[in-house]
Order: sequence, then C-alpha cells, then structure tokens
Amino acid sequence: MNEWMRGREFLRVAIAVARKDLRSEVRSRELLPALGQFAVLALLIANFAFDLEAGGPRIAPGVLWLTITFAGLLAFGRAFSGERDQGSLEPMLLTPASRAAIFLGKAAAAAALLAASELVMVPALGIFFNIPVLSFALAATLALATVGMAGLGCLFAAIAAQTRARDLLLPALALPLWIPFVVVGGRAVQVVLGGGGEVSGALALLADFDILFLVVASLAAKFVLDD
Amino acid sequence: MSIGRDGSLPAANPAARPELVRGAAVASSLLLILAGLLVIFYAPADSVQGVVQKIFYLHVPAAIAAYGAFAAVLIGGLVYLWNESAAADRLARVAAEVGLVFTTVALIMGSLWARPIWGTYWEPADPRLVSTLVLWLIYAGYLLVRRIAAPGRQASRFAAIVGIIGFIDVPIVHFSVSWWRTIHPPVEAATPAALPPAMLLTFAVSTLAVLLLAAVLIGFRYRLEALREQLRAAAQA
Repeated sequence: MNEWMRGREFLRVAIAVARKDLRSEVRSRELLPALGQFAVLALLIANFAFDLEAGGPRIAPGVLWLTITFAGLLAFGRAFSGERDQGSLEPMLLTPASRAAIFLGKAAAAAALLAASELVMVPALGIFFNIPVLSFALAATLALATVGMAGLGCLFAAIAAQTRARDLLLPALALPLWIPFVVVGGRAVQVVLGGGGEVSGALALLADFDILFLVVASLAAKFVLDD
Repeated sequence: MSIGRDGSLPAANPAARPELVRGAAVASSLLLILAGLLVIFYAPADSVQGVVQKIFYLHVPAAIAAYGAFAAVLIGGLVYLWNESAAADRLARVAAEVGLVFTTVALIMGSLWARPIWGTYWEPADPRLVSTLVLWLIYAGYLLVRRIAAPGRQASRFAAIVGIIGFIDVPIVHFSVSWWRTIHPPVEAATPAALPPAMLLTFAVSTLAVLLLAAVLIGFRYRLEALREQLRAAAQA
C-alpha cells in the first residue's frame, strides 16, 4: 500500500467512526438535549449570579468560556464511557484499523456535538446578556478552540473511561491542559464581544494549538486504546 | 510481575544504592545550612526590594528543581512507553511526587514575594506564575491517575501519557499568557549575569543545595518503591 492509499484508508476509518458516533447520537437523542439544557441553565445561573450593571459585554465572555469548558467535559466524557459500558470498543480495536484514525474519528464526532451545543449556547448568550453575537470572528474562534479541546479532551476521556472514578479524572486532567485555549480564546471573545478589533493573531495561535495537540493526542491514542 | 522486566533487580541500580543516597543526604543537609547562613549573613540586601528579595534564593532553586523533576517524569514516561522498563516507570512516579513538592514551595515563595513587590499574592498576567500553577495542577492530575487507574501496566501507561503531554503543555501555557499580557519584571533582573558576586555565590550554593535535596528525596523514594515492589513480588512468590 503506498502513502496515498494509506492516507485515504486512514481518512475512511476516521469518517466511518465519526459517522457511527453521530448516528448513534441522532438515534438515541441523549447527549444533545442534555447539553442544550445545560447551556441554557448555566447562562440562567450567570444571569443572576453576576451583577449585570457591570455591563453585559464585560461579563459575557467569561460566562461563555465557563459554559463551554464544562459542556465540553460533559460531551467528551460520553465519547468513551458509552463504548466502555457496551464493550463495543474492543471489537473495533480488533480490526486492523489504525488506532489514531479511530481516535480522531471519535474526537471529530465529539467536537461536532460540542459545536452543536454552542449553536444553542451562543444565541442564548446574546439573548440573556443583550449583546450582539452574530460574528464570523466569534464563530471561527469557537470552532478552532472546540477542535483542539476535543482532541485533548477525548484522549483523557479514553483514559478516564478505563478507570474507576472516571468522572473524577476527566476534569482533573483536561481542564489544566485546556488553559492555553481559554487564555487565547478568552482574549479573542473579549475583543469580539467588546465591540470588535483584530483577532487574526488569536485565530492563528488557536490553529497552531489545534495542529500540535491533535498530532500529539493521536500519537498517544495508540498507547491509551491498546490497553 | 513488575520487577526484572529489564532483567535487573532494583537493588542493582546505582540510584538505589543506599550508602550513595545517604552520603548525598548528609551533603545536601550541610549545603542547606551553609546556604541559609549565606542568605542571612553574607548576601547583601537588594537596593530596591530590600530584604524581601532574599526569597529569590529559595524560590528560583525550588522552581529549577521542580522542572528538573518533571523532566525526569517526561524521560521516565518516554522510556516506559518505549520498552516498559519498570525502573523508568518507578523513576517517573517518584520524581512526580518530589516535583510537586518543589512546585508547591516555588508557588508559595513566589506568592509571598509578589505581595510586597507587586502588591498582590496572585497576578494572572504573569506567565511564569500561571504556568507554574498549571504545572502543579497537571502533575496533581498525574498522581491522581496513578491512584485511580488499575495498578500496574495501565496506571504506568496512562501516567506516562499525562506526564509527557503535561510537559508539552507548560511552555504553551507560558507562551499564551505572555501573548496575553505581562507585568513581570524583565528576565534580565534574575539572570546571574546581572547579580553582584556575593549574590551570585549565595545563589549558586543555594541552588546546588536545593537540587541535591531534590535528588536525595527522589533517591530515597525510588529505593523505598523498589523495596516495596520486591516485597510484593516476594509475597506473591
């Protein structure tokens, strides 16, 4: 098999795994409603817990990031725990498919689910905090951050799912490693919601983080999934 | 069985030789006393910050020791993933504990130093402070993996992954926070080149003392773990 064929095979496996995960979510409709509900509830709590006199645009970026990170923990935590409970990961690993491809497929599906919940979260943020949220820069920031966070989050979810106390382990591992995304993405959202400005530097940085962490996580996936 | 995967008993490892570690322990104790005396009586007070600046002599060596220990976690993890060496895994495990202790020292010292100089215990705009806290959190997570994962191969593998990715993440946190903003005193102020000879000598002695102390703690913990594994293997046999 030459390089090109191998690349195509890798992509085919990743897409098949992602489609499988998304189809199972579409059929069961468990995670998405829960995520949407969580997003609205988190924003509602923030609506009362923060002093809105300080100004919606000043508070909203922080609220958005808190909601995204915790929704991410919910979304990614499910990526491997379901497989674990049904014992469906082992048969998949018995196939000659590359572990990295299986892992990236699952991460892509998890990223899509978190992105779908952001489609509820961001308009709700606009309504609850009375700020304009329709912007290409905001969408790009969240999309880039979601991809990288999904890569790291799914790797640690795969680790956590194989241990006891899995819901304890995922936040302890994923949150510290997400800090670069929150620092850079947080700044970009502040700029966008604060009335605009240049965010191309932040977007380039987020894209760099994505590439780095996706490569590292898919290399590590071999050791995590093979156990 | 976790011992002898690489064909050697833990006691055959020079790092586990008790008299070596004991000698180093005595040396590091003497050096620490000497460093303390130098810091108090010999090193001059800083012309701007006054006596507070002397925290530097414990703060910076502790941070260096912590980074050294976490580098050992990284190397131990890589070697473990490569050849499943029990010794490499043991080194990574004990170095993470010692690294966490020295990170705690560096953080508390840094915070106490920041209060009179910057007027605050915590400054989110400072990349070194934030990346050190994230470092602490990552390796606390590392030890949590060790505790929660099934002991043996699973815990060792998962911890190795966390140790490696954690080490990669820290410079990135540092970089993102400096990109974000910085008010930290420029790095030149802390480099040895700008220090007068008396300060430089004190700093060199205290760094040596703290690094040796970290190595001794790692040596003791390594030996203890090796003996514990031997005992467990003997009980199973």
